[in-house]
Amino acid sequence: MQEEERLIVDNERCKTGIDELDIQLGGGIPTGSTVLMVGSSGSGKTTLCMQFLINGAQQGERGVFFTITEPLFKLTKNMEGFSFYDKKLVESGMVNLIDLRIISERLGLDTEKYTAEDASALLDILRDIADELNVKRLVIDSITALCYRLQTPEMIRDFIFKLGSSLAAMKCTTLLTSEVPPMTFQYSQYGIEEFISDGIMFLGDLERKGDLIRTFQIVKMRGAAHSRTKSAMSISSKSGVELAPLLKSRE
Amino acid sequence: MANVLIDGLKERISNAIKINQSIGIMLPGSNYSDLVQALFEYINSKPEEAWVYVTVTKPYGTLVKQYEYLLEAKNIKFIDCISRAAGILRSDSNCIYLESPSMLEKLGLEIMNIFKEVDEDTEKFLVIDSLSNLIIYNDAEIVTEFFYHIVNRTRAKDIHTISLAIEEEGLEKHLNRLIYLNDKILKVRDSFI
Ligand SMILES: Nc1ncnc2c1ncn2[C@@H]1O[C@H](COP(=O)(O)OP(=O)(O)OP(=O)(O)O)[C@@H](O)[C@H]1O
Ligand SMILES: [Mg+2]
Repeated sequence: MQEEERLIVDNERCKTGIDELDIQLGGGIPTGSTVLMVGSSGSGKTTLCMQFLINGAQQGERGVFFTITEPLFKLTKNMEGFSFYDKKLVESGMVNLIDLRIISERLGLDTEKYTAEDASALLDILRDIADELNVKRLVIDSITALCYRLQTPEMIRDFIFKLGSSLAAMKCTTLLTSEVPPMTFQYSQYGIEEFISDGIMFLGDLERKGDLIRTFQIVKMRGAAHSRTKSAMSISSKSGVELAPLLKSRE
Repeated sequence: MANVLIDGLKERISNAIKINQSIGIMLPGSNYSDLVQALFEYINSKPEEAWVYVTVTKPYGTLVKQYEYLLEAKNIKFIDCISRAAGILRSDSNCIYLESPSMLEKLGLEIMNIFKEVDEDTEKFLVIDSLSNLIIYNDAEIVTEFFYHIVNRTRAKDIHTISLAIEEEGLEKHLNRLIYLNDKILKVRDSFI
């Protein structure tokens, strides 16, 4: 399997900066990995990914956030509601926010469907940006929206694989958000993204007394001895995403 | 007359918390207001300490209406578990509103996050008002697990805890199991005071 051959530098870890998550990962995400952040709408994918970039920038690691589903002004407005969101890091270029739709427009790509040439042009642009900015952390929000534009399973596989390989070579750790319907045990819309990724983190829900409790679980992480237990997840303005041991009711 | 009663309660709380890490207070519903008054007066007399008060019984808005000095108090922060679920929307600098009393993990995180911001040298205290009401909104087993975690985590950080349990028919079995996780149990009886 070609994806198994992708090089992950031994033991080097990319700290997410979310303490409990780094503990569960045994230190952090293996540097250079491509990780799928799976969850239904509103589960916290965008927030967690932004926190990952901001925390990295505070440690001197430059990051880039490619948004497809949300325009930049909405994204920044939502993120400004969180204490962790440090605008200065964006202004100083430590965290770069880029609207992928604007890029594809500039490339003259059809915004709905990409041909193989379009996909390859887009891939080159992403690689160039990552290389030029020397980013160590990259987010695509969402890969589902991108896959929708890539018309065949082969194109999706090819795109994610090539992107992941180039970024791994740059020692850049990548998070791809994946939208799935609520209350399902599915990790990706097209069933390909999950196999080509090095890791999967699942943001779910659990019903308790009629309330939905946010949950978090590391499903896989190549190259790391990680916890597989389900945690409770909290999102708050003050602390962003946090994890805590899930209390197990015996209902 | 009332003052004698409140002063008596304050003294019992004060004596017990001085020598124990965690105390549980069992009381009949009829003594609830007196106990809460005693607690708030006690807290108000300790401006140098840091207190976190978790209310599952009365909304924060009701408490501060009754005890206005709480609004200004710098030594106490509240976590209100019931207002949001009851559709009361307000925001206060002194209070964190939890969406629902069933979000126990989040409650645990918020408690510890408040204490994280307090100086190492400041004496820290947590009040849970009350275990009986947590059981009303949750399964007894999950509350036991939650309380077990809290007792251990606060003990590790040298935080004292005071947990109230209002005696209620049908809950005794669960409450007894919970309350005995504390180092010391105070029983408030009408006849006692
Ligand atoms: N300032 C805030 N404080 C606390 N919680 C917030 C705050 N802002 C947003 N949230 C919560 O976080 C959720 C949104 O998280 P986020 O946008 O990261 O989800 P998402 O998985 O990216 O959703 P989508 O698939 O719709 O893009 C909201 O639904 C809301 O419940
Ligand atoms: Mg999003």
